[in-house]
Amino acid sequence: MSHKAVKVGLTGLVLATAFGVLLYSTLGESAQYYKYVDEVMAQPDAWYGKPLQVHGYARDIRRKRDSLDYSFEIHREGHVLRASYTGIVPDTFQNDSEVVLQGTLSPDGFHATGMTAKCPSKYEPQIGSAAGPTSTGTN
Amino acid sequence: MASLGFYLLLSAFVVCAYAVAASVAGARRRSRPLVDSGIGAFYLVAAIMTAASAIIIYAFVSGDYTIRYVARYSDSVQPLFYKITSYWGGLDGSIMFWVFLLSIFGSAAVYVNRERHRELIPYVVTVISVVQMFFLFLMIIHNNPFQTYLTESPADGEGLNPLLQNFYMVIHPPTMYTGFVGLTIPFAFGMAALITGYLDDSWLRAVRRWTMISWLFLSVGLGLGMIWAYEELGWGGYWGWDPVENAGLLPWFTATAFLHSVMVQERRGMLRVWNVTLVILTFFLTIFGTFMTRSGIVQSVHAFGEDPELARLFTIFMVSILTVSFGFVMYRLPLLRARNELDSWASREAAFLANNWILLFSAFFVLFATMFPTLSEAVTGERLTVGPPFFNKWMLPIGLTLLLLTGIGPLLAWRRSTLTNLRDQFLVPVVSAAAVSGTLVALGVRVWTSGICFALCGFVVGTIGQEFWRGARVRQQATGTDVFTALVGLVARNKRRYGGYIVHVGIVLLFLGFAGEGFKLDEQVLLKPGQQTQVGDFVVRLDAVRVTDDGQKQMITGHTTIFRDDQEIGRMFPAKWFFRKHESEPTTEVAIRRSFAEDIYLVMPAFNLEEQSASMQIVVNPLVNWVWLGFGVMALGTLIALLPETVFAFALARVPAGAVTTSLLLVSLVLWPAAVIAQSSQSVSPEQRGALERQLEGEILCTCGCRRPLNDCGMFNCQGHATQTAKLRQFLTEGKNHDEVIAAFIGDFGSEAVLAAPVDRGFNRLAWLFPYLAALVALVVVVVTARRWSSRPMAVAGADSGIDPALSARLDDELRNLD
Repeated sequence: MSHKAVKVGLTGLVLATAFGVLLYSTLGESAQYYKYVDEVMAQPDAWYGKPLQVHGYARDIRRKRDSLDYSFEIHREGHVLRASYTGIVPDTFQNDSEVVLQGTLSPDGFHATGMTAKCPSKYEPQIGSAAGPTSTGTN
Repeated sequence: MASLGFYLLLSAFVVCAYAVAASVAGARRRSRPLVDSGIGAFYLVAAIMTAASAIIIYAFVSGDYTIRYVARYSDSVQPLFYKITSYWGGLDGSIMFWVFLLSIFGSAAVYVNRERHRELIPYVVTVISVVQMFFLFLMIIHNNPFQTYLTESPADGEGLNPLLQNFYMVIHPPTMYTGFVGLTIPFAFGMAALITGYLDDSWLRAVRRWTMISWLFLSVGLGLGMIWAYEELGWGGYWGWDPVENAGLLPWFTATAFLHSVMVQERRGMLRVWNVTLVILTFFLTIFGTFMTRSGIVQSVHAFGEDPELARLFTIFMVSILTVSFGFVMYRLPLLRARNELDSWASREAAFLANNWILLFSAFFVLFATMFPTLSEAVTGERLTVGPPFFNKWMLPIGLTLLLLTGIGPLLAWRRSTLTNLRDQFLVPVVSAAAVSGTLVALGVRVWTSGICFALCGFVVGTIGQEFWRGARVRQQATGTDVFTALVGLVARNKRRYGGYIVHVGIVLLFLGFAGEGFKLDEQVLLKPGQQTQVGDFVVRLDAVRVTDDGQKQMITGHTTIFRDDQEIGRMFPAKWFFRKHESEPTTEVAIRRSFAEDIYLVMPAFNLEEQSASMQIVVNPLVNWVWLGFGVMALGTLIALLPETVFAFALARVPAGAVTTSLLLVSLVLWPAAVIAQSSQSVSPEQRGALERQLEGEILCTCGCRRPLNDCGMFNCQGHATQTAKLRQFLTEGKNHDEVIAAFIGDFGSEAVLAAPVDRGFNRLAWLFPYLAALVALVVVVVTARRWSSRPMAVAGADSGIDPALSARLDDELRNLD
């Protein structure tokens, strides 16, 4: 009995450790900091080069003619961050809309590789509904 | 009306409380009348909830905008269909709908099992009633769907969000709820078994079917959600690991694990603690999923209501569930000891065990990753998030391992496999996998994860094929029938086993579709009229961007032509629709050109009418349709496992005469869809054609911009009129009937904007609904026959022994006292 318990315990321990290590190492690669604009801009140089998601409100949206290059500002509580994005933007990406940008910060602004716009007021997903709008780009 | 509804909810709460009290007291005092009155009260709750549902639906239909919920989720211009379905359009109504479904499901479960599991029933009633009380309590103090405006009420409602005015969004939530709610039944039986201590395997038999039914709904619900995401949201995929999606997946994992491990308990008397734990966990996860997506605990960019009060109530409820249920598991541990031990790792029970661990780990992982932002914030104060790549990185190997086990499990013998039978069993599947891999290498398939996936699919198909083949051969020799009858008879004799294999075929198809993701192409470009871009083998050319209006909405449509190898293969019309009152929330109308090899998926997220330019997202999605097909096959397999044996009686006869019937039936089954297709495309006679042409001319719009039907275009020498009429004539000459012509026009034009009166958006997709409708009908048949089937043994036993039920009840009670 005790012999079996030891075996089971050891197996469990080894498996748990292995998964723990794997989880930790993959998390390190995949995790992004989730910050509001004002949090980031309080000390911007601390965030240079780190994988980051920035949450704020868009304004001054400009698009380069004949391209999908967007340049805009996101702001929150008096802090402003200049951002750029290339690609298709969500329907709800308009001036004063709430957005979350994924990308990296550098001295010349935030370079976004992904964008999610907060759906306006009335979208309420169902309880347990399998498919809410997703955060992979356009919705 | 509103106050009546609210009083009904209040009374449902009180009746539930009575059902709990009467059942517990009745069970403890062994008083049959008390228990019966508890059951009666339980049925009464179902009646009250039906009445309350009728009231809210009436309020929606009659447009009673004094009720906040009605005003918020519907308006007067909404079609009747969406008015009714607005019932579950928001949180408050969803909770009520939940209780309604639970009361109906619970009553059905109690009714079916009231004699067979008489000792468990009072506690089943108690547990379900307590769950109902929680949700009723939520409604009464926090989320009352019947809440009215205290001051002046609006003249019209705000209308349901356009995104939800979609056919899939209408049937997806109820399907999902039914799955969720159904999982309360196994939990109730499990708890009843723990409370009473009747922990032999009989409670498992009671819940197996209910779990399977719920699992079926959950799977179909997940599939519908994926289709909705794919067709409506327009980002080119169908699964984005969003918290809402994950919430539905979590109980699916544990329920799947339970459906497998339950077999080990039945066959070998092992894993008894494990099974109880899985049942509890599955139920817990249904509640947790709701909590996770509703309370604002997982912050998402989507408008999830942040609701600390709701979070608090849910937390209390969930902690109670865990404490009480695992408390009982601890208390009953001595009764849950396994009767056997694992003999060998090369055994089927070991494969099931591995499958369970992996499924449970999947649930754990998805839960962890979904909750990660919240967890990291709680632990470190920094909010860290993980995206879909992180999920995929983990779920890919997990999924492939599960697929491998799907193939290995059935090949292993119970208890212990010898080396000879391992060799004997694995030969065909391994050869099949090797053949697939060889073909892939020869074809030069580069994506290695997808390659492994294809090879594993080959392996599983080899396994399943071998199982069917060997079983059918044995049966054919034993019964002397033809091979088809033997096959059907085989399935009939072991419905769960072979139904399960068919589910596995569905899983293989799903994985086939998933593997296609590896070859997905995604291109974002800005196009002007005449410009084109190449994506894979396809070239997409933008012809124009046009504006049309049908009164309900303004439609901006991109007209594109698709080429493959310099050949024009069709035209596609991605669009953006701006509904009245929802102008700031345009819907993206995806254009999809489907085939079994790949979908071309076109989205026009932005446009500029002055420049006539459009930004286009062009996605080539290989094999994606196999995912939907996989869900259909899974549903079919589950239904077969659920069907009562009598359905297969014709194939179980030993006489060769049965062979004829079966073969005929099979032939007719194969021919039936063909017959339906033939029927729908019956050619039209010339006399009918004239009338039909006139009718269609009134239904199809001229494309010159006059926005009038063909028979009413006032433009002189109109080009649009000429092309449309020519097209109409051509379609009619081809022998197309009314619906086919309409479909062809829509197909050509890309949207219903070509019709004078737009087909209701949701209903024109009924074709896709058909398999699910069939499944639903079959389910009704299952329920009805299952009831008859389950009551029959009782009647037979009574007739045989001549004991009346009251006497046997007393005997039962006396015997129980002997313990």
